[in-house]
Amino acid sequence: MTEVAAFAAWLGAAVIVLSDGRRGLALGLAVTTLAFAVLVWLGGEQLAAVALLLAGGVACFKRLRTGPDVWGVMPSGSTARLVLSIGGGLLSLWIATSVMTGPGAPVRFAALSVLALMTARVLGQAERAAVLTALVALALSVAMSAGIADTSPGPAPYIAAALLAVGISVLRVAETNAA
Amino acid sequence: MKPGRGLVGAGTWGAVLALFVLWLPVRSTQELTLGPLGFGAAFDLRLDAVAFAFALVILIPSAVLLTLQPRSWQEGTVAAVGVGASMLAVEAGGILLTALAGGTAATLAVIQLDIEDIRAPRPPWGVLLAAWLALSWAGAILQVAGGTAVYAAVPVSALTVPVFLLLAAAALMASGLFPWRGWAAQLWSRPSLSAAGMAVATLYPLGFYLLVRAYEMGDGRYPQPLLGVALAWLGVLVAFGAAVRAQSATTRREYLGEVIPGCGGFALIAIAVGTPVGLAAGLVMLATVAVLTACLPLLPDRAGPGTLLTIAAAVGLPPGLAFGARVVGLAATFEAGDFLGLIGIAGAAAWVVAMVAAARAIGLPAGRGHPASETFPRVAMVLAALILVAGPALPVVMSAFANPAQSEITPAVPGSLGSSLIAVVTVQTNLPALTLFAPLVLLGAIMYGIAGGFGVRGHSRPPLFTMPGALALGRLRDAARSATLPEQYQSIINPRALEKAAAGGRPFFWIAILVALAYAVNR
Amino acid sequence: MLPELAVALPAAGSISAALLRARPQAAFSAAAILGLAGVAVVVLARPGATSDQLGISLSLSSESCALLIVAAAALALVVALSPLLVERSILLTWGLAGLAGMAAIAAATSLEMIVLIVIALSVMQAASVGGRSFATRLRGPVLAAALLALAAASARSDGPPILSHLAAVGLVAGLCAALGTLPYIHEFEPDERTATSPIPWMAFIGPVLALAVLMRARELVPSEGAAFGAMMIGLGLLNMLWGSVASWRTEGGAAAWHYSFMADWGLALCGLGMAIADGQRAALLLLYGILLSRLPLYLWSRQSLREKRPNDRPINLLAAAMLAGAAPFAGFAARVLLLRGATQLYWPLALVIGLGLLLWLPPSLRLGRSLGLPRGRQAWGVGIALGANAVIGLYPQPFLALAGL
Repeated sequence: MTEVAAFAAWLGAAVIVLSDGRRGLALGLAVTTLAFAVLVWLGGEQLAAVALLLAGGVACFKRLRTGPDVWGVMPSGSTARLVLSIGGGLLSLWIATSVMTGPGAPVRFAALSVLALMTARVLGQAERAAVLTALVALALSVAMSAGIADTSPGPAPYIAAALLAVGISVLRVAETNAA
Repeated sequence: MKPGRGLVGAGTWGAVLALFVLWLPVRSTQELTLGPLGFGAAFDLRLDAVAFAFALVILIPSAVLLTLQPRSWQEGTVAAVGVGASMLAVEAGGILLTALAGGTAATLAVIQLDIEDIRAPRPPWGVLLAAWLALSWAGAILQVAGGTAVYAAVPVSALTVPVFLLLAAAALMASGLFPWRGWAAQLWSRPSLSAAGMAVATLYPLGFYLLVRAYEMGDGRYPQPLLGVALAWLGVLVAFGAAVRAQSATTRREYLGEVIPGCGGFALIAIAVGTPVGLAAGLVMLATVAVLTACLPLLPDRAGPGTLLTIAAAVGLPPGLAFGARVVGLAATFEAGDFLGLIGIAGAAAWVVAMVAAARAIGLPAGRGHPASETFPRVAMVLAALILVAGPALPVVMSAFANPAQSEITPAVPGSLGSSLIAVVTVQTNLPALTLFAPLVLLGAIMYGIAGGFGVRGHSRPPLFTMPGALALGRLRDAARSATLPEQYQSIINPRALEKAAAGGRPFFWIAILVALAYAVNR
Repeated sequence: MLPELAVALPAAGSISAALLRARPQAAFSAAAILGLAGVAVVVLARPGATSDQLGISLSLSSESCALLIVAAAALALVVALSPLLVERSILLTWGLAGLAGMAAIAAATSLEMIVLIVIALSVMQAASVGGRSFATRLRGPVLAAALLALAAASARSDGPPILSHLAAVGLVAGLCAALGTLPYIHEFEPDERTATSPIPWMAFIGPVLALAVLMRARELVPSEGAAFGAMMIGLGLLNMLWGSVASWRTEGGAAAWHYSFMADWGLALCGLGMAIADGQRAALLLLYGILLSRLPLYLWSRQSLREKRPNDRPINLLAAAMLAGAAPFAGFAARVLLLRGATQLYWPLALVIGLGLLLWLPPSLRLGRSLGLPRGRQAWGVGIALGANAVIGLYPQPFLALAGL
């Protein structure tokens, strides 16, 4: 179950990387959030899982209302992003399972892959909608990375990440002079 | 006299009075410790004979100039605080506090000069900053290696050759003791001399102070005798350089600009030789430098008896104090033995050139004048005359002023420097200054009375010689200043492109940096 | 409860100022009162005492408290003595938001919380009107967040020793990316307003962030002290050199100021990397200088830079002396401590640092001139900044004791 959830997290992050439209972004975010919630629930932090789900839900809802009203998954010229998603996933898998040892490999894989892919999405000069979506997923993945430790960090990081995700989702970004 | 000038003048004279009141009744070391300051030094003040001597060297010309010369309230304030900083530098008990105070004095001197005239020459701020940073580093090394940077407590073994070199470099940069035309000479070409005089009064003695304190830290000597020899030879070059420039000066102002560096060169020779006699003679020379520092800014640029007396006093004409001190100082080089006498011979040669320059300077045109409101011809004349007539009192000056400081920092060597009110007694010589010089003073006074004044009717003479290669050196310096990288090589080093890559947020560049860091750490 | 209040009160002040925007006087009053209350809480907070009133452990260290107090003082100085054209309530809004973020960073007891706060602050900053695009403004802080999170993950995982090495690399790189120092410089637009420029990261939030990250780093990778220190010192030297030369040679005045912050951070990074008491003290004094002097002077120079009115008066020279780290200012005391620390570690390092310090003067003269001729409140502000800096330089002991050093 945890392996499936971890794979789903990566898949959701990959969809966010490959999508330009609000529907694709919302889908990716939903899958990632759900995967994270499952992993956290299975880790024993039910409250945290509920918080992540709620935050993810709010973020997805807001995403469906702003941004280009298309799916926009794998538009033309997205080959590099596809390679990035697959390569990033493989690299994260290798690090999480072979370099880092011990139990909890799925959590590690999920956290590392989403963290890396969302960072690349933000740095990659994407449109505002994509950047905001990636930021939400990034915040959630930071909380997940706190769960890599042997001792549970408690619900605090997840709740904080959830609050941040909601905040990012409802934020109104001002128009700037630059593109 | 404006109230502002009165206040700063009164304050400085009050400081002189306080110095005497504190020192004279006790005449031994007094300390005041107020706890750590937080950057490795404690607020530790020490008034001993060395501090007393240097304090006088700083305070007397400062007091005279602050009292007499008009200046704006901003200049006055900065000048007064600068005097305070300089005093703190010589009364500090350790190197780090001296560095802080000396650095402050340097900063304030530069600001004072810029308040007066921002376009006129001033000491290179970078060099002064480097000097006090170097001293801080020397202090830090002494703390790390020896456990303390307090002058009286530094272990002799901690003052190694590298540390001393750092300290000496700081001293030379702080006072501008270089064979080429340094800031102490350049300042005299400023349109006004009120800030210049204060800058020299507060900054120039500090480098010598460090070299004298180095003896204390080394238990009476430098870590290697060769270091003293090198410094003494540098002193010769400084004196000789000043003399050469003085003899080729085109105006009297230009000549007078070389007076302080020239005297400083001789003082450096005497101090660096490393004998008690030399040290004492060097301190007396610094005392004459102090009086000249007060005299020169007050001197009007027109020819007159004041100018003549000043030139005579500065060049070391007998029976002046400068003459006596130089004779004792150069004699110390012969007494030191071995080949150190060669330094004395070279010093004497520099003195001869300086004499020629002085003779020539009498007939030179005045040069760019400074405002008459800041000149006080009579006071300048009195100060110059004081140096000349104080020659017979050389033994008294040495006994009261120089010998206590010398004995404070060099171990007592029996018979090395005797104290007497009539003669200066050294290892091999006995200079009966009072007996020899007093009649000269009387003779001079009688001749002045008969002649009824000194009519200066000189005419301009060509320089004795020009330094070969001086022009070429100047061209080389200009070429070095204007050097740029040839265009065909500019693309190899393109910092803008590198920065654009760094700031452009290109992930590949950032990842490359990460990989490089990771590789460096894991090697 | 005090750490929670230290975050909540400035945040409330910032929110009040934003909500009462239409009534500037009310906004200013509310924000000022709440901000002062927040500072009072920081002053009263017991360093090291943990509070978990909100279910999350919060604790303020003495160093962080000291920097928060100094940052608050800098904010008060800038707001009280801002030029008439600048609306003080806007300054206070941004300043208090930054202060709240800093308090949160200082109080956080885990690196992930710090990362989340960094993301929050960066998003808030990027979301407002500015010259650079939204994505551009986010780049540096997001990279920092990612690197720090990855570093924390590496440090916590079991595995070969290379993981802890990589964790150390991530922490240092993440810190540099957050600050905007070389090699992760944030793109700088000279005409952009300060609140949305990279300057707050370097000059306001940066000091507290650096201390917090280092504190967490010591807990996460205690065995990597040597590597950590070496990287900090190496990057510090790089920033010293680049920052001072670029500040001197660059064409734009505002860019020169930006590079000067970088140069100062170079020194601070060297001090922090030394991991001995003298290095820490030097770094703290430099950070005080950045907060209390360099940042306010930069803000006051903006108008003169726009109007291209450089000036060469005594006040400009004094400012140049302070910026160059000449005696008797705080920079000189910091340099003495830095040289002493470097000498203890490895004397050639002290030589390199000493030579590097000589590069400070030319750009400082330029920056001093760029202040123009301060008048009225601005002149008072410059005077206060100079005075405070001189006091810290002459007698740094109480200011270091405030930080527990």
